[in-house]
Amino acid sequence: MMSSSNGTAVRLTGVSKTFPGYVAVQNISLEVRTGAFLSVVGPSGCGKSTLLNMAAGLLQPSEGTVEIFGEPLNGINRSAAYMFQQDGLLPWKTVLGNIMLGLELRSTDAKQAAQRAQSWVRRVGLAGFADRYPHQLSGGMRKRVAMAQTWIVDPAIVLMDEPFAALDVHTRMRMEGEILTLWAETGKTVIFVTHDLEEAIALSDEVVVLAAGPASRVVGVYPVDLERPRNLIDIKTDARFVEIYGSIWRDLREEVLKSYERDQRA
Amino acid sequence: MSATKGRNKVPMFVWQVLLGTVLLLTWQAGVSAGLLDKFFFSRPSDVLGRVGQMLVTGTVWGHLATTLLEAALSFLIGVTAGVLFGFVLARNRFLSRLLDPYIRVANALPRVVLAPIFLLWFGLGIWSKVALGVTVVFFIVFFNTFQGVREVDPVIIDNARMLGASERQLIRHVLIPSALTWIFSSLHISIGFAIIAVVVGEYLGSSRGVGYLISQSEGVFDTTGVFAGMAILAGVVLAVGLLVDRLERYLFQWKAQESSRVKGEVA
Repeated sequence: MMSSSNGTAVRLTGVSKTFPGYVAVQNISLEVRTGAFLSVVGPSGCGKSTLLNMAAGLLQPSEGTVEIFGEPLNGINRSAAYMFQQDGLLPWKTVLGNIMLGLELRSTDAKQAAQRAQSWVRRVGLAGFADRYPHQLSGGMRKRVAMAQTWIVDPAIVLMDEPFAALDVHTRMRMEGEILTLWAETGKTVIFVTHDLEEAIALSDEVVVLAAGPASRVVGVYPVDLERPRNLIDIKTDARFVEIYGSIWRDLREEVLKSYERDQRA
Repeated sequence: MSATKGRNKVPMFVWQVLLGTVLLLTWQAGVSAGLLDKFFFSRPSDVLGRVGQMLVTGTVWGHLATTLLEAALSFLIGVTAGVLFGFVLARNRFLSRLLDPYIRVANALPRVVLAPIFLLWFGLGIWSKVALGVTVVFFIVFFNTFQGVREVDPVIIDNARMLGASERQLIRHVLIPSALTWIFSSLHISIGFAIIAVVVGEYLGSSRGVGYLISQSEGVFDTTGVFAGMAILAGVVLAVGLLVDRLERYLFQWKAQESSRVKGEVA
């Protein structure tokens, strides 16, 4: 089931998605190497989330195919976990209960599940908060719970949809650092959707730029050859970072302007 | 949370008792001063004496037991049916749209007009009252369950599905707990209304129950008896409400304190 380190984790071939009244994405082909950290950026409304939902199996493409480790995807993608923009924590479960949820659903032995969840509670820095309910937590803490909730089920692929968009700058930078550490420790494949190009470059091996919607397509795929491990605090002033940023922004800029004009017309 | 409890609870309780005392004393004084006719308004002291007498001699217990049995039965049947229907209709768009106009019509019907027909169908015993109670409880619980299942945050559902939930697990881990908060906020109201409905049923035709007692007193112009029956009923509804509060607080520790939201019209 597990693929070799140089295989392809996710492959989209000629994928389009049409909703009643408009085309969200059109003829998108994309390959995500196993173990890679890939970001998808694009102006708002360009179908980034649609793309992610198709990789997750929550949406079926209207045309084209989605393959996961070489197998065509049918229904929910069982090798992926998904961290949503707004966390989907169950308000009636404690931090521990929420983190355990995935294990519980897979009927893992309750005692073992609780133990593993406890270790994740510590790992995401929530020791002492295991018995709290989501409404008692700050935005950053909820994200940590969501992070543990997705990573505990040990998925081969982690999908993230602007998970830190709602956080303040400092909390966000810390969470980004934690994601990178987790990723480096576990070697999972990550698809990270964001509208923030700096965030995308700082985290990724590869950045995919999507065109302005509707009927969005891939504008370009840009490798990011910055060294790892990365120091997220200083990376944005690194000369190579600035260079990469400049070259991607040239393309992204036009798409942003297009989507801006589109919104003005609307 | 604890600050409001520590600082405000005791004084407010005192104020509340004070308000009640003032109202009762005014009533009492009004009758004594001849401003209120004792024949029509009785007196708090008389009512209290009558309630005490009824409780001590035990004449009321049998009637109270009948009323509570009827209310409990209509509550159980109404909640079960309401939750089941609410769940099925919330999950089945075709059925819910098909039945929508009929449910509206049925709910628009004043329940009291059903009492005579239930008397004919189910007789003077407890079942005609239970039937009336069910028609009230069912709709309250039905609407709240329906809403509760429909209003589940789609992100929570997607999240659970991505974490591996099957359809059945989704119902158990997400839909039921989510609907429960709505169902529970409807229980407060529906318990009270179950009691009211069966008392109305008893009042309209029966040989037992608190409603029967009240109607008997009314028949002989015994206002003290009517008020005593009312007082006993109010006490019971209040006690049951407190029990539900307790249960709710225990079950919904996870929830931020907020005002209860209840949907659905009542008789």
